[in-house]
Amino acid sequence: MNGWHGQALHIDLTAGTLQRRQLPTDLLTGSIGGRGLGVRLLRDTIHLTTDDPDLPLIFAAGPLSGSGVPASDRVAVVSRSPLTGTVFDGSAGGTFARDLKSAGVDALIIQGCSPQPVWLRLSGTEASLQPAAQLWGGDIPTTLAALSGHGSVATIGTAGENGVLYAGILFGQGNAAGRGGLGAIMGGKQLKAISVQGDQATTIADPTRLQKANRDILRLFRASPPLFGEFGLQAFGTATFVDLMAQRRMTPTDNFRATVFPNSTHYSGPALRHALHPTSGGCNGCPIACKKFNHSGIPLPEYHTLSHFGALNGLDDLPALLAASADCYRLGLDPVSAAVTLATASEIRGDTLTAADLTPRLEAIAQCKDEGALLAQGARRLAVALGRPEVAMTVKSLELPAFDPRGAYGLALAYCTSGRGGCHTRGNPISYEILRRPVPTDRFSFAGKARMLRIAEDSIAATDSLAVCRYALFGASLEEYADALSAVTGVDYSSAALATVGANIVLTERSYNLDNGFTADDDLLPERFFTAAGSHGQDTQVPALDRDRFLAERCTYYHLRGLTDTGTFPAASGPLLP
Amino acid sequence: MKRQIAFYRNKLLQDGSAIDQGLALLAQDDGIISSGPDDLCQLGAAVLTRLGGCALILARPPLPISEWLIAHAGSADTLIPPDSETRTFLHDIPILRRDEFRSDPVAALTARLGQRKGVLVEGIGLVAVGPLTLEQAYVNLSSLFHALFVKTLHDLLLQPCGPQEQALLAAVRAWTTPLTLAGLAFCDRADLNGNTQIAHEMERVGRYTVEQRLVDSFFGNISCRDDQQIFISQTAASLDALSGCIDPVPFDNSTTCGITASSELLTHRRIYEQTDARTILHGHPKFAVVLSMHCATRDCAIDDCWRDCPQVRDCVGTPIVAGEVGAGGLADKVVPVIANSGAAIVYGHGVFTIGHHDFAEAFTKLLQIEQACRDEYFRRVDANS
Repeated sequence: MNGWHGQALHIDLTAGTLQRRQLPTDLLTGSIGGRGLGVRLLRDTIHLTTDDPDLPLIFAAGPLSGSGVPASDRVAVVSRSPLTGTVFDGSAGGTFARDLKSAGVDALIIQGCSPQPVWLRLSGTEASLQPAAQLWGGDIPTTLAALSGHGSVATIGTAGENGVLYAGILFGQGNAAGRGGLGAIMGGKQLKAISVQGDQATTIADPTRLQKANRDILRLFRASPPLFGEFGLQAFGTATFVDLMAQRRMTPTDNFRATVFPNSTHYSGPALRHALHPTSGGCNGCPIACKKFNHSGIPLPEYHTLSHFGALNGLDDLPALLAASADCYRLGLDPVSAAVTLATASEIRGDTLTAADLTPRLEAIAQCKDEGALLAQGARRLAVALGRPEVAMTVKSLELPAFDPRGAYGLALAYCTSGRGGCHTRGNPISYEILRRPVPTDRFSFAGKARMLRIAEDSIAATDSLAVCRYALFGASLEEYADALSAVTGVDYSSAALATVGANIVLTERSYNLDNGFTADDDLLPERFFTAAGSHGQDTQVPALDRDRFLAERCTYYHLRGLTDTGTFPAASGPLLP
Repeated sequence: MKRQIAFYRNKLLQDGSAIDQGLALLAQDDGIISSGPDDLCQLGAAVLTRLGGCALILARPPLPISEWLIAHAGSADTLIPPDSETRTFLHDIPILRRDEFRSDPVAALTARLGQRKGVLVEGIGLVAVGPLTLEQAYVNLSSLFHALFVKTLHDLLLQPCGPQEQALLAAVRAWTTPLTLAGLAFCDRADLNGNTQIAHEMERVGRYTVEQRLVDSFFGNISCRDDQQIFISQTAASLDALSGCIDPVPFDNSTTCGITASSELLTHRRIYEQTDARTILHGHPKFAVVLSMHCATRDCAIDDCWRDCPQVRDCVGTPIVAGEVGAGGLADKVVPVIANSGAAIVYGHGVFTIGHHDFAEAFTKLLQIEQACRDEYFRRVDANS
């Protein structure tokens, strides 16, 4: 095969066995890889509870990993989320996907629970489980340092070991499958870390065609302001969104009770540049290089981390925000969920977080001790436990990121249709409602947004399955990546064919969630967004969302997906992954 | 949606990309809404249903360029636009010939549109899809027309013109509308101050640029500076509808809100930093684009002339430079030549002009360059006959 190896490594941690098994060709061509492959491989076990050892944790690369296609070296981590209960995938950059492929496998399928802490070592054709008693209890930098020399490493921190429901899996250089508590799944299996390396190349069917496809992609990258523009991701990283969201009055502030934070300029992209003179870096082979590092090589916070520890919690002290970000990284916590949970607690208690509170509280969360035990359950469970469920700014228990949905109506819909809970990345309407890519649309209108969202979700699901960075879609599209995939694999794909695979993935994820008890009632935003306006500006009004119009557009979305009015599958169900 | 369909129908007719009786526009949300001849609408509806996108446009151009290009394409199944701008976004243009189309036109068209943004269809003309919006279909259709118009005229410069080509050129002459400053008003330099006044003037001049067909669809960019900032049109903004689509970008980069500004922001900024320009206008006028690619050099070792040509050539007294759009280095090539000439043609792309005090100077230059390129183009093809 070209592109794929056609093999997965199955790890049974209970039995301590490791076995390479063939992946059927039609399964690979029909699900592509990454998110699609991971979701497909969960089909027979998605009903298992998140504390069941047999629930798999899957790491899946894509056929383009290791091929040199721009922005194509990401790995999908897929399982069921302990935070949301939904099927959940996280996409991480860095070098892990490349090194996983170089070990000759497309995916790791990890089941069972080890009787004692272990780490998985995969080096070429050799795979083994190693004792991890010495590593257990260590933070992320310590573990990464201990396993240096073993290739690329994925690991959990103390948060994952202690079952924090939003513990992430970290990969070094600030890369993470951060959301949804996948780190807690890994910790529950007593698996501290995974290292991968090898020397097997990803073979390419048509190098000449690939060269052309890569050129086309790079030209579109260079022509894209959000990528290579003066204020794009290459220049400022995702911190570039601080000013833009402030200008659009979409900055979630004071636990989403306002949408502008006057002091956001203290931690904006230019502020970071001025204070820290950051250097750029990126995932393997990625020309965008959106990650920013300080002079010591420590990764700087992403936009959502800055904004949620900042505006959402009323803090504007840059050193404190940098420290909070570093704490989350060190402890293996999802900073988005952590910041929203802290803001929820502040609103309920009527107090305000101070800069000095941050590190002790994050430590307590990671250790699940004292007040941290409740904070470790996430915003929704915390709010329910304290008798104020309406204060949790979550959808399907996933804490909302730092884009306020009252400022972009497609985004409001996307938070609700996302199969993994309140998350913008499944349909990324920020692209066409704010960044004008590929076309501008009216952000304060629901008209046509259901169809746009459906198309974008399909496109992104396919992109996640190619294991390509979603930011690539700010420049290129499935059209160019279909050419690259065809060149690498020798299997002809069109953009339409990729979109069809994407649609099948989205529907498969929905069928999993419905089987696990989710309903249309879960496809809904918190009440606050329908009753309270955002912060109006001189030229911009940010009214509360019109509930009837929202529900009508959600219904249109269901219809466009071939679903019933209530978002369920009709008797003759739609197409799912093969 | 009906209002939008009527709007873009009128736009395509006004900009000369389509003829009324060969134009169908379709858009779908809950159901499909269409406008145009029944046979085209029926075909379009079947294709759009299969594609699942938002919009589809089928358009017969007012010029016989489709037929001429297909007849001269040999056995090729795609055409490659030579101009850099449309090539960046379209890559290539599939050809769907009558015999491939006859048995199952819906399947044939759907398959091609599943691969590319637009298709050249024998007997129909141009077909373009808009996955997200009707505007996207309009842009793709208009870009297809621009790419094929430029390719046709460029090809005609490279070969002797027979009777068929003469007829085509006569049609092109008839299609070109007079370029004129008559009736156009510009804000005086003394009044070009303050955010509101600058924005109004940019909106007005942007509209002139589209009305005079100095653009590809409605793309191009426009800017004006004051002491602190550059006011520049946003990326993907319609030059004839700039209200609310102008970004103020401070020279000191104290905010990143300019992330939505035109992809040519860097070129505009460098021009302002290194010249005494007050305004900049950038369009994609067709004849200037065609002539910029007509090079007399033979046996040249450079393949990607649009990007790599180191020469500063001349066309109608205006320097031509190569360079890739966006972050591809265009600014480095344009800035050194524009200070002296007040204008620069970018190989296979378009024209930048500057005004020292107002937009009248920049717009007049753009218009004059395109008029001179038209005249020069017809002089060269006539000499070829």
